[in-house]
Order: sequence, then structure tokens, then C-alpha cells
Amino acid sequence: MSNNNQLTPLFEELKKVLEGKIDDDTLMKEVKKYVEDYGIDVDRAKRAIIKKYDTDATSSFVTADSIVKKIDALKGSEMNIDVIVKAIYVDKKEVNIRGTKKIIISGILGDETGTCPFTIWEGESVDLIKGETYHFKNAYTKMWNERVQINLGTRGKIEKADSTVDVPERTIPTSESREIKIGDIKEGVGNITVTGRIISTETRNINVKGESKVVYAGIIADDSGKIQYSAWNDYSLKDGETICVKNAYVRAWRGIPQLNMGDRCEVSRVTDNFGQIQEVTSKKTISDIVKIGGALDVAVFGTVVDLRTGSGLIKRCPQCNRSILNDECSAHGKIEPVFDLRMKLIVDDGTGALSAVVNRSDTEKLTGITLAAAEELAKAQSDMDSVSREIAQMIIMKRITIKGNVMSDDYGPMMIVKEASIDDVDVVTEAKKLYEEMEGAL
Amino acid sequence: MNARETAWRLFSSELNTATYEIKGADEKSPSYIVTHLGAMVNRVLIAGVLTEKENVGSGEEPMWRGRVQDVSSGNFYINIGKYQPEAAAAIANMDTPAYVAIIGKVRTYTANDERVFVSVRPERIIKIDEETRKQWMLETAQSTWSRLKMMKKATSLENATEKDLIGLGFCERDAKGIVTALDHYDVPNSATYLKTIQYALRTILPDNNIDLGLPEDVSDLPDEIEIEPGDTAHNSADMEDTILRLLEELDVDGKGAPRDELERRAEAEGISSMELEEISNILMDKGLVYEPNLRYLKRI
Repeated sequence: MSNNNQLTPLFEELKKVLEGKIDDDTLMKEVKKYVEDYGIDVDRAKRAIIKKYDTDATSSFVTADSIVKKIDALKGSEMNIDVIVKAIYVDKKEVNIRGTKKIIISGILGDETGTCPFTIWEGESVDLIKGETYHFKNAYTKMWNERVQINLGTRGKIEKADSTVDVPERTIPTSESREIKIGDIKEGVGNITVTGRIISTETRNINVKGESKVVYAGIIADDSGKIQYSAWNDYSLKDGETICVKNAYVRAWRGIPQLNMGDRCEVSRVTDNFGQIQEVTSKKTISDIVKIGGALDVAVFGTVVDLRTGSGLIKRCPQCNRSILNDECSAHGKIEPVFDLRMKLIVDDGTGALSAVVNRSDTEKLTGITLAAAEELAKAQSDMDSVSREIAQMIIMKRITIKGNVMSDDYGPMMIVKEASIDDVDVVTEAKKLYEEMEGAL
Repeated sequence: MNARETAWRLFSSELNTATYEIKGADEKSPSYIVTHLGAMVNRVLIAGVLTEKENVGSGEEPMWRGRVQDVSSGNFYINIGKYQPEAAAAIANMDTPAYVAIIGKVRTYTANDERVFVSVRPERIIKIDEETRKQWMLETAQSTWSRLKMMKKATSLENATEKDLIGLGFCERDAKGIVTALDHYDVPNSATYLKTIQYALRTILPDNNIDLGLPEDVSDLPDEIEIEPGDTAHNSADMEDTILRLLEELDVDGKGAPRDELERRAEAEGISSMELEEISNILMDKGLVYEPNLRYLKRI
């Protein structure tokens, strides 16, 4: 019978898995009952029958339908996979998940094909030893920070593997710190080595798990850009000296990457050939910034393509400076608002777009409309929005250079503008340049 | 993260000839029109002369149509509806002709015969001065030239993949656009785009005798006007005569010939509506006809 033929592979597989826990007739009957009588799909039938007859399997779901995969074959969406991997880096810690304390284990796993971060969410009774090879069963994968992550939940199981796995040296991220220019640093670059000059230093007291700790922070720069750093140890860093930092790592705060010098970090004094770098605000295209997610003290040149709502004449709470609608502050109740002027621009340079918040003095400078004039206009028209309509006419299509820090959230990158100027291009000179280039190329 | 779509700077010769669209899977994911040069366009920044505007809606619910000429006989077609209140208010107060800049989304319309028409739905339309228009021309010329260069680099490889192009230093967006364009169109004919750039440079530098060595008689036909093989019955001059004759016939009340009627009759004479569009542009350039409004064409 053709049906029997279809069921044969399932039957054979189950027979192997159940290894004599059930006789062939009963097994065939079960298979037929699930698949033919009840129309259960093959995978589900397989699990159900195993669960019914293999009492060992019920606790762990070590099923026949998960497959051993290599790390480079993982896509980040696997629901049920096995991997045989070496533990390269292991960190067991207590975390707070929605008010419940929990022990998790995270770190890095590797096999012949690559490495990948992992998390074991039920880490209480598990002990992973660095360098040992393990068989992770019934794991699942997720994408996190554009990388595949292996996760092991309540259904998962870990066994020590009989074999060992060789992880090629180059794929072990912890073994070698990668040298990188500060301008290229973005979240997720891993273990890096950076050479830069200390631009500023400060010490901050912070509270870590009820313990007071000193953080040594500041700004470090090279000829490609600058970045905020924080060090957990006192390296006695001084303004103006150039250091080489090995084994530093990167964390982003609202899209702005920050350089962290942890316990494994090595700092040495070096000489540099950066020249004058303190004064330079690095110029970037918007696509570069979007790629990194944020930036500290950058200059962007582009065209104003829109003025967002919330621009023009606005009201603020005199106590907390929040911008408010009506005359009520969400923190201070009914208040006498003060007026302010600002612009929320969209600046587009052809490579990308970002929003930019421009404060009162730069708004006045760029549009020629003063706060007093704006208040008068609003009064005359008895309409606060008339100011933003007026401003839109004056600012859209202007080419501007804006400087400041760029942060990212769900709506994309946003710059808090520290400095803005209208920058017209010398059209004739640029057009001649283009013509010469084209003549040469054609 | 939902970064805002870039506003592409491109000439109408590039935008209007695009026919391939990548539709967003759902309402939230954006659609892109892919041009022959590999621009993946969702939003544009365009500028030129607003030559015509017409409210085809009502006073309460305006629906504006208009034409913006960028260079030579190139036109962008714009539509402003009730969901673009700022643009609608702005265009209502504009006189034609006027230099304008528009930031807007591209829209396509596919006719029954599967020809694709591209228009722009402005989010913002604003009056600009001549200098700003020149700045736009320059930036758009630069941008078009850089796409031409990238396309050349990409076509020098055999069957380049996105990965290959990224390896050559292309950014992801450009690599994807170029590979998509080459998948869906032939290798682009650069003469069309070079002519547009040449025209833009001549406008910016009127005294510099700009000549990129392109034959003067390369027709301004956008390259979507491909006359069917075997359909050699028409040359431009014949078609011009036919259209002029039709215009006279159809102008019964002195208002000119209604567009739709003209299109129907031209079709009957074997002139496609794309050809008609082109011939009307030529006739307008020659000063033989004009458009009293968007729906009529009239002999002078």
C-alpha cells in the first residue's frame, strides 16, 4: 500500500529511537493511528510516539528531530538544534529578570567553522568549563546585535561530548585584540586595540550593586574621530598623553559607542603622529553615522528637507524646562509657561537622513526670526503654528552644516545641534570641477 | 531602527524611465522604484520650474496636479492630495512659472498595457531662487555622474553580485540597487544621462562652452520609448504632422484638443501615448503647440 510506503521512513526512524521499547506491530499501529486516523503531521506524530513509549525522553525532549549543526550554518531563527562546541569563554552570573533572581551562563562557543555568543538561561545546576567540548541539545538561536546567538532554555540539555572540537585560532575573538581606528568603532566590534590621545579626564562615583565605585572617564581621540571612554581602574591618565589600549571593548549608549577599559585591559603610553586633533570635529556622511548608530561631536553637511512638528514657537515649564502643550506641565501642574524657539529639522545629504534639534540661538541665527518677533507673529495671527510655517519657508532647501552628538532610537539617528551654519556651495567652481572630471573620463 | 528614507537627487530622465518597483511586504515596509542606474528610490529631492498646476479636485478637497521641468524637456509629474496638507497649501499660493523644490515620495501607476508611469507626491513644495535651483542641478549632476561611474565599474565585472560590489567599496545600498537594476534592465545607455548632465552644466556655466562630446542629435527620447521592432512606419517628422493635424481636428471649441481624445485618436493612427508625450514635448519646444492646461493641447 502506498500509505504504508509513506509511513515506512517514520516507522524505521522510530524503531531506531525506541530501540526495542515497543514491538514492530504495535509501533506500526501507533504510526497509522496518529498519521492516518487522526491526520497528525509526521513530525508531531514522531514526538508524540517517542514521548509515549520512551519514558527517558519525556524529561528532556532529546528528540529525533533536532539536528547537529555547525556554527557557520546557523541562521539565527532555528527553533531546535544541536551543536557540538567548545566553550571558549564562560561567564556565570546572577541576573534580575522581571523581579526574579536567576543564574545564567553566557559566553562564547566555537567549532571548526566559527564562534558565536551563547546564553544558558537555566544556569543554576550547569557548570561549563572553559576549553571543554559540549553537546548542546535542543537549543534555539536568535539574532542579537546582528550576530547569531545560541540559547538554551528549559527544554535544553547539555552533555559533555566524547570528542573534542578544534577551533581555529583566528576565530577566537578573545585570543587576539583587533586594532581599529576610533572613527570605525561601532557596537559589537568585540575585543579591540585602540591608540588615541586623551582629550579630557574626569572621575565619577557610581553605585554598582550597592557598592560605591570610581570610574575614570573622558574623551579619547585619534585622527579619525573621538570617543568617550570609561576605565574601571586608575591608569592615571592625563590630558594630552597618547595611550595604546589593548583588550578594550565597546558598549553603546543610545547608539553612541563608548570605549570600555575593563579588568583585562592593558594600557601603555606611546607617542603618536596625529598632530593637532583636539580642535577637529570629524566630518561624516549621514550613512556613516547611521551605520555606526551614533557619534560623538561630528559635523554633517546636508540639505534641510523637512521641518517636523514641535518646531517654531513652543512653551516650556519655567521650573523644569520641559516643552509643554497647553499650560500644564506633567511634573509641575498648572504653570505660567515661558516661550522658546527651536527647530526640529530633517537634514539629508543624499546618503541618508537624520533629524536635528536646533536651539533658540541657532534658530534665530539661521532664520533671522528672533524669539520676540516670533511671539509677535503668533500674537498677530493668534496662531502659534504660523511661526513654524514661516520658518519652514526660510529653512527648507537650505544647505547647512550642523555639529553635535548623534544618538539613535527607534526613529533613527538624531543630533542635538551644538552649532549650525548655512553653507552655500560655490556652484560655479564645483560645476567646473565636475566638468573637468567628466571630460577626463569620457 | 526606522531610519528615514534618503531623498534621492535625480533628474526626470532617470526617474521617469524606471519601471521596476520593489514593493514593500506590508504597509510599514517601504517600496522602492529602481532606476536604470541603480538608485533605489522611495523619496526624492527635485527642483525646477513649476510650469503648470491645476486643481482637479474641489475647493474643499483639493487634488493638485502639476509639472515641474528640470532640464531641457524633462518633466516631473506631481500629484498633491489631501494627505499632503502642507504641500497643498503651498502650491495653492504659487503662480506659474516659478522655481520650486520638492521633497516627496515616488508613486508608480501601471497602465493596462503594463507601461509604468512615475509621479511624485510632494510632502513639501517650496519656492526657491535661481541660485538654489543651480545648486540642485549641480548636486544632481554630481549624484548622477557618481551612479554612472558605479554602474560602469559594476558592468566591467561579469555578473557582479552584491558581495562583489561591496568588496569593491560600494556601500550596501548602492550594491543592492545596481545588482537589482542589472537584473531587471539592460546595461543602461549612458548617453541619455550624460546629455542631461551636459544640459545642467550648460545652465550653471553658460559662458564655458560646455561640450562633453556627445552628438547633438542624440534624441532626447527617454529610453523607455522603444519603438517596437518592425514598427518603423513612423519617423518623428511624420508623427509631428499627424499630431498637428489631429490637434486641429479635435479643437472644436477653441480650448484646444482634449488630451484623452487626442491620445485615443493618436493610438488609432499607431502613435503610442509615450510617443505622443514625446512628440508634444518636441512640438512645445518648437513653439508650435502649448498646453492651456494639463488636459488640453492646443496649436499656436
